[in-house]
Amino acid sequence: MSFQLNCPNCGKRAVSEFTFKSELKIRPAADADFSEWTDYVYFRENNMGRQVEWWYHRSGCQSWFLAERDTLNNTDHRSFWYEDLEQNSKDKNGGN
Amino acid sequence: MAKRITTHQYCDLPDLGERLSFKFNGKNIKAFTSDSITSALIASEKTLLTRSFKYHRPRGAYDVFGQGHESLVTVNKEPNILADRTRVEDGMFVESQNVWPSVDFDIAAVNDVLVPMLPNGFYYKMFHKPKWIWPIAEHQIRKVAGLGKIDVTGKHVDRRYEKHYRFPDVCVVGGGPSGLAAAKGALDEGKQVLLIDDNPELGGHALHSILPVVNCSNSALNGIPEYKAVKKLIEELAENTNLEVMVNTSVFGLYEDNLVAAQCDANLFKIRAESVVLAPGATDRHLVFENNDRPGILTARGVENLIMCHAVLPGKDTVVVTTHDGGFHTALLLKGAGANVVAIIDGREPGSDGEFEKQVRNLAIPIYKGLTVHSAHGKKRINRVDVGPISGGDSHQSFDCDLLVMAVGFKPQVNLLSMGRKRPEWDSQRQILRVNDLPSGMYSTGDVHGTASFSRLYTEGTDSGKAAALNDDAPKTERTADEIIMALPADIESAGTHHFICKCMDVTRTEAKASIDEGYDQVESLKRYSSMGMGPCQGKACHEAVARLAAIDTGISEAKAVPTTMRPPFSGVSFGVLAGRAPHLSPIRRTPIHQCHIDHGVKFLDAGQWKRPDSYTNPQEEVGFVRNGLGMIDVSTLGKIEINGPDAVAFLHFMLPAKYAKFEVGRTRYSIMVGEDGILFEDGTISHLEQGKYYLTTTTGNQDAINALFQWWLLVEDFDVQVKNLSLANAAVNVTGAASREFLQKLVEIDMSNKAFPYMHCRQTSIADVPVSFYRIGFTGELGYEIHFPAEYGESMWRYLMTEGETFGIKPFGVETQRILRLEKGHLIPGTDSDALSSPYETGVGFAIKDDKVDFVGKAFLKHFKDRGLDNKLVPYQLDPSSPIPDDGVAVLENGEIAGRVTSSRMSPTMKRGIGLAWVRNDMSGSGNNFTIRLADGQDVTATVLDHAVYDPEGLRLKS
Repeated sequence: MSFQLNCPNCGKRAVSEFTFKSELKIRPAADADFSEWTDYVYFRENNMGRQVEWWYHRSGCQSWFLAERDTLNNTDHRSFWYEDLEQNSKDKNGGN
Repeated sequence: MAKRITTHQYCDLPDLGERLSFKFNGKNIKAFTSDSITSALIASEKTLLTRSFKYHRPRGAYDVFGQGHESLVTVNKEPNILADRTRVEDGMFVESQNVWPSVDFDIAAVNDVLVPMLPNGFYYKMFHKPKWIWPIAEHQIRKVAGLGKIDVTGKHVDRRYEKHYRFPDVCVVGGGPSGLAAAKGALDEGKQVLLIDDNPELGGHALHSILPVVNCSNSALNGIPEYKAVKKLIEELAENTNLEVMVNTSVFGLYEDNLVAAQCDANLFKIRAESVVLAPGATDRHLVFENNDRPGILTARGVENLIMCHAVLPGKDTVVVTTHDGGFHTALLLKGAGANVVAIIDGREPGSDGEFEKQVRNLAIPIYKGLTVHSAHGKKRINRVDVGPISGGDSHQSFDCDLLVMAVGFKPQVNLLSMGRKRPEWDSQRQILRVNDLPSGMYSTGDVHGTASFSRLYTEGTDSGKAAALNDDAPKTERTADEIIMALPADIESAGTHHFICKCMDVTRTEAKASIDEGYDQVESLKRYSSMGMGPCQGKACHEAVARLAAIDTGISEAKAVPTTMRPPFSGVSFGVLAGRAPHLSPIRRTPIHQCHIDHGVKFLDAGQWKRPDSYTNPQEEVGFVRNGLGMIDVSTLGKIEINGPDAVAFLHFMLPAKYAKFEVGRTRYSIMVGEDGILFEDGTISHLEQGKYYLTTTTGNQDAINALFQWWLLVEDFDVQVKNLSLANAAVNVTGAASREFLQKLVEIDMSNKAFPYMHCRQTSIADVPVSFYRIGFTGELGYEIHFPAEYGESMWRYLMTEGETFGIKPFGVETQRILRLEKGHLIPGTDSDALSSPYETGVGFAIKDDKVDFVGKAFLKHFKDRGLDNKLVPYQLDPSSPIPDDGVAVLENGEIAGRVTSSRMSPTMKRGIGLAWVRNDMSGSGNNFTIRLADGQDVTATVLDHAVYDPEGLRLKS
């Protein structure tokens, strides 16, 4: 892991400055079936290809943002704020 | 006979610098400041440098560029230094490695005679039964088969290992003609360029070429010999302020997004470049024949380097084996230095007529066409070579000589181009292994695509540098027929069983074939079984021979030869460099009271990045200060988060598993936190300071993580709250002990009485005009007040309290003391006494959960845990006063089976017996139940489960 990640605030930085949280996923409703909660907490899509993930610029501006990353080669990231998620999901035809 | 020369017929000799002397295996060696260890040793007739790994065969300098194991020596007690690349210093101590008792007389050389009895995998086959024999055998084997010895006292290390960073636009690796041209190409585009070379000076192989430059696009270089042209080019570049040059620096790894890792002495450079141009060049091809490892066999470029850069003629009677005009160039340099060139053995058929071949003909040196070397004779130094047809078989002729020069073409250094991402392929037309396409942002140029004329290397280098600067597509390379050097057979199939494919690990063709017969018929498994290419040079010298011979011997066409995967590190890297010293990367965090602790003579402990007081005297003694008097501890490292705003209660309800609707102003509560998985990860206190303003404390380790977590939730959920991280804004101390109330009452205006300020309450006031907040909590088990105040008063407040408390006998205590105090109270520390499987119910903090809320973090799993019931339980226990104290983490047993574990264990100075917390099965957790703890030494002790804390079970002292 030596790739660079684009922080929407600070620009391109070594990935070691960031903390990975998880893939972007939807939190189940409080009364959802327990199996739905198990999926949410323990299962990962682990896409081979592009996926949207939560990242935190720990050693930088300490902001949370989303990054669309190709897990195959770690290249060509797109980073954006959560508030722009909808716009970005539209860009890639509904996507994640 | 080697000697130092003072004149050369065909070239200028370099200025050798000052005279000096150093020790080699105890003997004085005279040298010049410009010498490498190798050149100085060769000039002094020290041909024998080391012994080989397995058979302890004598070995001497071979390529003179530090690629093989021959070059490894111990310098000033530091092992595995490359003699070829290390400049000598006056008084230096150099020693041979892997020899006993000496390099000249090595007892283990008997292995060489025993070769037929030492088949491949011998050690594994021989010593695996009975089982007990391997450790003994291994010990003996390691003594004779190995590299340098580490001086474990470490006294030789007075150097500091540092990490450095560079961010050039273009990083050029390799300072030969093409690398220099690439740097120029990028500089001309206005880029910042970092040029790295692993040799002591720039110039690459051009430094020892007397071929005149022709048709070069840089017209200033035309008409002068390459060794002068390249120096002119270096001078031209040196004027450019956008260029940084690093010599003696090995690039050992290339990683994603152009991270270039390089080592220079004790320094690690992490270079992040927009573009990387790789111009690593090529080295003389390794030819496999009988006794091809004997001292006195040197590569052509090695010999040229010795003559032209060090004025050392490495032999008297020389034979040159070649397949291209470069071999005649070497012969000419030898002749011009005064050597007797006995013969030139050219593998090509008659008809070739290069520039240097013509010159050599005029000198009446005998040339033999269509032949090559079959075997070498002589042990510690060659004295004769046999030559014959390139197809092997019987030898025709013998020549007496003391130097055999190998000029049989070049092997591109594709390692850095490959680095586990791109596999080299055999290019039948160019007769080399090549890596063609590289990841974007990476370019390659020069001899790595096949040798070429200076002018071609210059043009292609400039184009690559320009492309790298502009982020264009990589330019194509071209080689004309007269530039291509036909490869000889990978092994000259002459008689004998000492055809060394891999010299580092002593693997011969015979052994490789035997391994294939045993079923290891893929190049990767063949490498692992035979250990070819796994020695100090990591295949740099032999990977081409390994690939070609593996293809032939496993029945694959040579065109499909692939080398084994090439991974970093490309060159040896010392552990010190990787570990480094990088305080700027992981800061040391000190509390605002740090200096006071030093004044008290503290012993610090590392808590993550923090320096915290462990203790000042002795933790067992310090417990007594608190239990019987008055103590004070610095707790500034606690996380401190202020929460206010209209949705503050709703936010707390969501983030924490408890309820706060009826949480009155002035109250303090124990709080826990769980994740969405319901697992306990944190505890602390929460206080309602003012209407709508809450103050949450977290553990030291979670200070940053909880703030980040809150920030995330505020992003994805809609709460109208302000979360302020005051962790570093506030300092904090805990003043605790029966006398704490009386003491503090003297300093504040508020009523401190038990009635006015009861247990688990908070107050805001001031001490000496400094605003403070008080939290009456009971982690230590005594009456106590946590005092938070602005961090800038850290030292002054501590000193003020120490002075004012003197009459009450106040004493500082540390974190280790606090751990004992809390253990006497049975308080857990999350992460120490709990782990990633601990439900809060099993951990015993279920009382802090109020789950009749619509939604909160962890609700679904907490309900699941509650429904499932308890499998295990964290319980306080005590030991018999005579029992020894177990280590943290030892096992709890029942009927000889593991039934749990101890998480915290200490001697209780108050109760005078061992106490602790342990995870046990729920059915074992009843109060008064006995269980067994197995100590690290195998002894068993009996522990008794306690219902409550061992000290003050009713909590009377806290609440008094």
